Amino acid sequence: MKVQYQPKQQYLLNTFLLFFIFHAMQVGIGIQAFERIIFSEAKQDAWISVVLAGIFSHVVVYIMIKTLQINGTSDIYGIQITVYGKWIGKILNCFFIFYCLLAFMIILKNYIEVLQTWIFPTVPTWLFSVSILLLVIYGFTGGIRVIVGVCFFSFILSIWMLGLIGYPLRYSELNHLLPIMETNIVSIIKGTHKMTLTIIGFEILYVVYPFLKEKDKVQKFAHLGIAATNILYLLLMLLSIIYFSPGQLEKTIWPSLTLFKIIKLPFIERIEYVIITFWLLIILPNLLLYLWAAIQGVKRTFGKKSKWVLLIFILFIFIPSLFFNSRININRLNHYFSIIAFYIVFCYPFILYALSLIRKKLTSTMEKMQ
Amino acid sequence: MFFKKKKFTKEKAEKQAKNENLIPTSRELMSAEFKKRLQHSADILENEVGNSGITLFSIGNLIDKTMLHRDIIEPIISQSFDSIQVIMEHLSVGEIRKTDHMDTVVQSVLDGSVVIYLEGNLFVLLAHIPARLGRALSFALNESQVVGPQVAFTESLMINLGLIRNYIKDSNLSVENLVVGSRSNKSVAIVSLNGIASQQMVGIVRKRIQNLKIDAILDSSQLAQLIEDNSLTIFPQLALTERPDRICDWLLKGKLAIIVDGSSLVIGSPQSFVEFFQTLEDSNVNWQIGSFLRLLRVSALFLSVFFTAIYVACLTFHYEVIPQTLLITLTESRARVPFPPIIEAFLLEFVIELLREAGARLPTKVGQTMGIVGGIVIGTAAVQAGFTSNILIIIIALAALGSFVTPSYTMGNVIRILRFPLIILAGFWGFYGIMYGFCFLLIHLLRQSSLGSPFLAPFYPPRFEDWKDSLIRLPFSVTYKRPDQTRPEDEYKYDYKKAKDHN
Repeated sequence: MKVQYQPKQQYLLNTFLLFFIFHAMQVGIGIQAFERIIFSEAKQDAWISVVLAGIFSHVVVYIMIKTLQINGTSDIYGIQITVYGKWIGKILNCFFIFYCLLAFMIILKNYIEVLQTWIFPTVPTWLFSVSILLLVIYGFTGGIRVIVGVCFFSFILSIWMLGLIGYPLRYSELNHLLPIMETNIVSIIKGTHKMTLTIIGFEILYVVYPFLKEKDKVQKFAHLGIAATNILYLLLMLLSIIYFSPGQLEKTIWPSLTLFKIIKLPFIERIEYVIITFWLLIILPNLLLYLWAAIQGVKRTFGKKSKWVLLIFILFIFIPSLFFNSRININRLNHYFSIIAFYIVFCYPFILYALSLIRKKLTSTMEKMQ
Repeated sequence: MFFKKKKFTKEKAEKQAKNENLIPTSRELMSAEFKKRLQHSADILENEVGNSGITLFSIGNLIDKTMLHRDIIEPIISQSFDSIQVIMEHLSVGEIRKTDHMDTVVQSVLDGSVVIYLEGNLFVLLAHIPARLGRALSFALNESQVVGPQVAFTESLMINLGLIRNYIKDSNLSVENLVVGSRSNKSVAIVSLNGIASQQMVGIVRKRIQNLKIDAILDSSQLAQLIEDNSLTIFPQLALTERPDRICDWLLKGKLAIIVDGSSLVIGSPQSFVEFFQTLEDSNVNWQIGSFLRLLRVSALFLSVFFTAIYVACLTFHYEVIPQTLLITLTESRARVPFPPIIEAFLLEFVIELLREAGARLPTKVGQTMGIVGGIVIGTAAVQAGFTSNILIIIIALAALGSFVTPSYTMGNVIRILRFPLIILAGFWGFYGIMYGFCFLLIHLLRQSSLGSPFLAPFYPPRFEDWKDSLIRLPFSVTYKRPDQTRPEDEYKYDYKKAKDHN
């Protein structure tokens, strides 16, 4: 396979779209439930954990972009092969593909669980699974530009939800935030670690990078995108701390959704019904991009046609999605996935960066010697 | 040996075809050949002109008789000629040409020409004097507008082109003629402004029209379906209009107009989704009012597509979302209805569609009666009989109203049809079904293109410059750029720095 990868002109994307890609990828299923998990570790200082996780994600993205810039126009599949050689590179590529599929399944499972818990307790899992997968297939076959279009509209069309934050704010109690820094630093760091599942999504840059038109603007829009998401997370975390009592927050599985229960408009109540169903549009770009990243990986590593691969991957996701139906199982799945994700998204980029740097130094000195 | 023989027969056949295609040298032969080619039709006209030795052939209904007498017969009747060139000098017809091909002769006779035949000559003259079949200019009835010109296109290609030239007196206006249909032989003209319109797009349209393999097209709406990017989708990707001012506005933005002879609707391309919800009147009134009207139409679109579906979803699954005070009224009005909401909604939507279709096919006066019958009799009676609830009638009427607000008839139809799958989805899956339908439509629209430019432009791919003239319309002093969607060769309408002090 070729290490360098230059997509055709008609598939290229304007770099500012990276803002929407990042935001759409990061906001997904984690945002509905992260408050409780962080709060159970860091108590009223949970917002500090969110800030720390945000700063850390900026650092990781900075390193990611540096890695990509060292290697010219290439994606993670090309870089791993240059760095590790053909065989190890291919195996690691498989790992990354598997990771993308796993992320896809985690998002799908969690969303179906929310749907079943809140709205349709009796509708079987397979029906939701099949319907969403069909939508994903239709979107995927449209190509990368359509997928990024879904990201864009998912952001634009869900801005209105921010306006709803005002309602729970009226019932908030600022004293819940005090005293600041009561929790010890270890718990705060633990909370930061627990943010993994919520904050991941920017690793898509590793795959989408060759498709961006102006490579010099990548840093700017990538950080803007992450900053937007981090501010959103911080807002929601603060809101949850001041709106819920500590005991209540620890027992609420989806605090972000419960927040909206208080909203009462003259013509509509229980607006969380609308929001949960609207969430389909918010998880759709996640699903599409993860699937696209996985199939792009197969295409780059093995040069296979994507039609059959798509079918196999969809089956690969569909069949396991029928199992793990209870809350405990899904929680366990999330837990294991967040451990894998922590190593792949937060630790691995540093290793890859160091290795590519060393490799580059070596090759340049070799050239000099010759 | 074998090849030689084949080649020989081929050459022979070619030679024979050439001979058949030549103009016969005697009058009888010519007459026989001409009639044979036109299937001995009753409307063939053949007259010998006095003693001049000239014979005129034509199809009587297709030519202008006054011109025939005044400009062709009169100048030549009292003279005799020995060459075709001399005759040409005597005629006072504007459009005249010489040919020696029988095929050309027949073709131009069908187009309204008179054949001037002089015995013994290898050439004939073709004088183009078509009868004016058709009507005078009239009001734009289907796309009427309060502020703005009232004239509409007619069925004549030449008149339509004249109308466009009247609005844009620019030497760069280019008209390219093509012929479509092996049997209908329709003249189709691609009109564009050279130097603004993208030549690549002109090329795409030309290629698509030339590549058509079809026996006949009767109207521009059929041509539009044939040359669309994706003919499987329900959404129209090319717009039809009967307003010359609208076409001129499009031409000035860098779009192409496709005029079909015999059709009073002109195709404008490429088009984006939002443009189906714009009218030229938005530019003719103040920008605040224009923006308000556009926002009104887009909200009507959402109302029309989703309102009934939301009703069905709420009453089938999500009673909780309706506030208590509203719920009492709703359940009271639904108390006597025996059907589930989905059947109730379908029933009433069906009635509304019936009324609309009946109204569309009837003359205006009877149509009004239909409205009264439908609105009062069926509406009131259905509620009293306990078939439907009052509130559903309000909702469905609003949704129908919303679909009629859409300025484009083709898009209005699509909006009406889209409601049905959404009602089904809402009936099965509630809000999730509606959202599912919405996501599907979003992906579907993202996948469409019009002449290769994205259908959801300028929203996606985002071209923030063009948002100024999309859902809203900002004043002319701000919209100095042509839309990116047409990939214009000249991006700027005018130099906005120079115009700053004046506009």
